[in-house]
Amino acid sequence: MKFQGKAKWVLLLCFVMMFSLLAGCGGSNDKTSSGGDDQETIKLGFLGALTGSVANYGIPGKKGMEMAIDELNDQGGILGKKVEGVYEDNKGDNSEIANIAMKYITRDKVVAMVGDPCTGLTKTAAKIAQDNQMVIFSSGATGDGVVEIGDYVFRNTLLDIYAVPAVVDWMMNDKGWKNFAVITSLDNGYSTALTPVFKQVIDEKGGKIVLEDSVNDGETDFTAQVTKLKKANADVLVFTGYYTEAALILNEAQKKNLDITLVGGDGLYGQDLAKLGKSAVEEKVIFYCGFSSDEPGAETAKFLENYRNRYKEDPDMFSAQYYDAVMILAKAMIEANSTDPKVYKDELAQLKDYPGVSGNTTFRADREPIKSPVCLITIRDGKFALVDTLPVHE
Amino acid sequence: MFWEQLLNGLTLGSTYALIALGYTMVYGIIQLINFAHGEIYMFGAFVGLFLVSVAGVNIFIALLGAMAFCMVLGMLVEKVAYRPLRGKSTRLSALISAIGVSIFLSTLMALIRGTNTTRYPEVMQIHTYNLGLIEISSLQLIILLVSAFLMVGLQMMVQRTTIGKAMRACSQDLEASYLMGINVNRVISFTFAIGSALAAAGGVMVGLYYNAVWPYMGMMAGLKAFAAAVLGGIGSIPGAMIGGVTLGVLEIFGVAYLSSSYKDAIAFAVLILVLIIRPQGIMGQKISKKV
Repeated sequence: MKFQGKAKWVLLLCFVMMFSLLAGCGGSNDKTSSGGDDQETIKLGFLGALTGSVANYGIPGKKGMEMAIDELNDQGGILGKKVEGVYEDNKGDNSEIANIAMKYITRDKVVAMVGDPCTGLTKTAAKIAQDNQMVIFSSGATGDGVVEIGDYVFRNTLLDIYAVPAVVDWMMNDKGWKNFAVITSLDNGYSTALTPVFKQVIDEKGGKIVLEDSVNDGETDFTAQVTKLKKANADVLVFTGYYTEAALILNEAQKKNLDITLVGGDGLYGQDLAKLGKSAVEEKVIFYCGFSSDEPGAETAKFLENYRNRYKEDPDMFSAQYYDAVMILAKAMIEANSTDPKVYKDELAQLKDYPGVSGNTTFRADREPIKSPVCLITIRDGKFALVDTLPVHE
Repeated sequence: MFWEQLLNGLTLGSTYALIALGYTMVYGIIQLINFAHGEIYMFGAFVGLFLVSVAGVNIFIALLGAMAFCMVLGMLVEKVAYRPLRGKSTRLSALISAIGVSIFLSTLMALIRGTNTTRYPEVMQIHTYNLGLIEISSLQLIILLVSAFLMVGLQMMVQRTTIGKAMRACSQDLEASYLMGINVNRVISFTFAIGSALAAAGGVMVGLYYNAVWPYMGMMAGLKAFAAAVLGGIGSIPGAMIGGVTLGVLEIFGVAYLSSSYKDAIAFAVLILVLIIRPQGIMGQKISKKV
């Protein structure tokens, strides 16, 4: 037993660390439960990826959030206190976002978390937020099972269950596409949740699914799928995954001389779609989302101008939704006259007809957002361009 | 559709084979599984990308440039991370060192380039030829021809040249070769250089074929190629070629006739089956050990 002496020390060290951890947790819990009211500044935690495969959602989101916070501070902050953003990069990783959410709650003592743009990641963080009575406001999670987690969970995005029927109607009636191929990205929670929505709606509206296939995120070899697709004689390809794989699928289609349009959700909304796809995605991809920088309303026009001046680039849906999320949170805190999540969350749930820069938002009784209209976006000359706007029927 | 899928499989498989060769050659000589090999392949892809898009050279020159760069990189890795351990510590330490190099190289590239997927520029007009049964694109043709050329060249070198003879001698018995006056360190360096050059060629062609490179592309490709090398019989050069092509074809057929979710499952189920029936792999030689 050579290590006995050493092992004792290690054990002791473990105990010390555990106790300090427990103490840390206890202390911070006390503080959060007593509310953020006695703090100097109000902190908002950013949830999103700044690197990795979903960074295209997080980076513009962070910019929108920073801009909203600066504008709030110019107007005197929230309830006379300065607002401060805390930004950590969750890399699109489930364990990272769990750690970051805990850090925001226990160490930074934020009053709300803004994000994540991905459904799966939002759910992970939302469970932690709900357990710690912290408001989480997702600006992009479109799948189901998000706000059901609890009364501290909110989102302001166009939901797939409202958008998909409008989009399928448009494909079948405006475009005359009746034969659908559907490709899912199997290890992508967003995609596996969106595919059944599309399939059900296509079925209900009398469309025919001629091919159902799958890919995995992070793969590059789609030759087998595209070869199958070519033989399937589909009018249109519905792909429910993210922008990287969409661009690579269309690249392969171009190489195999297959002329087909790819339709998908706002998971395709990433600058890399055009960068990776180049000529293969030009007017060959159409996706729906709740925001377009073309034909803006008055609110959006002001946001566009400020954003362009500040960042020298166009905002996208994520910058707009993060911006709106911060503004909606601020509004709820001011109206509730409190920055305590336990207090202002009820005010937040009452949101009705909020004229945000990413469209009008109303929370239903179950806190699900209703946003209108649906924007159909394509890529023209390497940039996102509006094809059509569709009304949403509840 | 069968023939087209077979062609897809052969193209994918020949890139696996190019990477698998490096694994098998290094293993053949020093019994080390060089887990950093996938990252050499990734570096090859990025150097090729750099040469094509920044330096603006012809794709074939970029291919040669990437191969030359990775030759040096491969030798450097061997010198820095494996040679100091050789003979002095267990084989396991060298393996851990290899994993360390692998992580170092991929994170280094992530720091330089970011983790996003980058597109390979269009460097050539892609034609499609209709051969009755199948349509083959010029890109697939180039990949198949270049891979075949490199593999035949490698086989010739190993069988016909003096250094090839030295390599074969080293793979049979490193110590005896040393006693016979072969500069063993030089042979090992050379093996790393050749293996790395082949991986770099694979990297550039994969980048070109799928239009996408990213810093972590080496991880999975390396694993697949390692599996291919084992399937073919690790240590055997023709085995790596056959193993790579077999694995590629199996994967594509998995997607084509079953589902994408079965892709890896099928490929690796076959690997396990082969190893149960023939533990030394398809082309591997049975080594009888004296106890």
